[in-house]
Amino acid sequence: MDVAEILKSLTGAFPEAISEATAESEIRARSYVDKERVREVCQYLKDSLQFDHLCSVCGVDYIKRNELEVVYHIASYDHPVVLTLKARLPRENPEIESIVSVYWNANWYERETYELFGILFKNHPNLKPLVLPEDMLGEWPLRKDYEGFPNKTARNLV
Amino acid sequence: MEEKLEPNEMIVHLGPQHPMQPGPFRLNLRLKGETVVDADIELGFIHKGIEKILENKTYLQGITIVDRICYLVALVNEECFVGCTEKLLGIEPPERAQYIRVILEELTRIQSHLLGMGEFGEFIGFVSMFMYTIREREEVLSLIDMVTGARITHSYLKVGGVRDDLPDGFKEKALSVLNNLKKSVDDFEEMFHTDRIFRERTVGVGVLTADAAKNLGVSGPVLRATGVPFDIRKNEPYLVYKDLDFKVCTETAGDCFARVQVRINEIRESIYILEQCLDQIPGGPLFPEGTLYGRRTPVMRVPAGEVFHRVEDPRGEMGMYMISDGSDKPYRVKIRGPYYPTLQALPPLIIGTTVADVASISGSMDGCTSEADR
Repeated sequence: MDVAEILKSLTGAFPEAISEATAESEIRARSYVDKERVREVCQYLKDSLQFDHLCSVCGVDYIKRNELEVVYHIASYDHPVVLTLKARLPRENPEIESIVSVYWNANWYERETYELFGILFKNHPNLKPLVLPEDMLGEWPLRKDYEGFPNKTARNLV
Repeated sequence: MEEKLEPNEMIVHLGPQHPMQPGPFRLNLRLKGETVVDADIELGFIHKGIEKILENKTYLQGITIVDRICYLVALVNEECFVGCTEKLLGIEPPERAQYIRVILEELTRIQSHLLGMGEFGEFIGFVSMFMYTIREREEVLSLIDMVTGARITHSYLKVGGVRDDLPDGFKEKALSVLNNLKKSVDDFEEMFHTDRIFRERTVGVGVLTADAAKNLGVSGPVLRATGVPFDIRKNEPYLVYKDLDFKVCTETAGDCFARVQVRINEIRESIYILEQCLDQIPGGPLFPEGTLYGRRTPVMRVPAGEVFHRVEDPRGEMGMYMISDGSDKPYRVKIRGPYYPTLQALPPLIIGTTVADVASISGSMDGCTSEADR
């Protein structure tokens, strides 16, 4: 399967949800996805296009545009194409549908994105902090406006 | 995990510090007699915030930081980070530098597998295995030391090439070490195959089927032991791997024994790759000619863009997602380590087994918690 075929099939199946689909190279493709329909798109990718391997889920803070992005890297065990799906979210109360029901290993990636960026994943089975302590919740340390060391969690330690 | 216990049930916390663990994480086991009925994992005991640190360091400083993700595979982490930067800059290292990188990364793979096997032996009570493998590993480490000047955290790769050339006499030294290693690997294999206790503790324990492994999202030897030939070096060749002849080692059983067998075979394949590299390494410069990049590259600005680059780590698929905004520091780096999904797949694997098997299953994954926590 090559990139052009994949993008054609994807935009054909979801004309409203998929936008700005571009092929970066022979093995990389990129596209924006509507945040309401992430789960459906992932289900389609897994069932119809052999994208059975979720590489990672991560967040990115674009503070100048006042937006957060959730970035999914979806690959396959059969072909070398990696699809980068991005969903735009507002910086206040970001919420997105969880894809744990499609890709089982999204569980920890979503928990990590939640504690580091404050993005809430709806219908996640167990949304609680993974690598950070509980009292760090609400700091959202990987956002660009995180102030760093002299903060309330550090005060508890010293 | 629910705290409410039924009669005959108890909760056992393995960790954060436990001899069977590759690093600090807490494994909570809910036991009914000897059987594990529920398990979950708590992470974060060595969370270092490397992704945040990288946002505040220049690309050159970042190479030093990614070494610390996992010291065992420092060179592969560097390869991933430097590879991302090179893709953003649109440069490619010259052929000699690529061969040197392949040589060092295959040596890294060998020493990581040797330590993994030794630790696994130690976890299941086969402590002398650790002594045997660590001796061979030391020889391989001194080879890496000869080139990079450090045993573990090397900071050897530079954007566009490598820091130094191979020293005089490296080829002869390497060939003699590899010849000795071949014999020892045969010995290890014989030991694993004939030791009755080792077989009883590994054969048929922690079985993963290919479909289950794909669903859990694991990669590396754990996946290849189930028969799926997934290897980034073949699927998506980087460096000069497309010119080299090697095969992807797979087994079909999917149990702990098969995982160790895959590692043993991979060491042999790595030795074969190294022999080819030492044979056909061309002469030439270490940095691309006609560009600014060299040993003493000053602060550089990287054009805006984003890239996702994957390399094959000894434990599986290592990927980094790097976004540049045109300044001298990366805007965001996401590190996708191979052990993170493998560790996540541990609870479903150990549910239904006995406590004694937890050590063999967890050990056969050859983990590094430092990389999972980052």
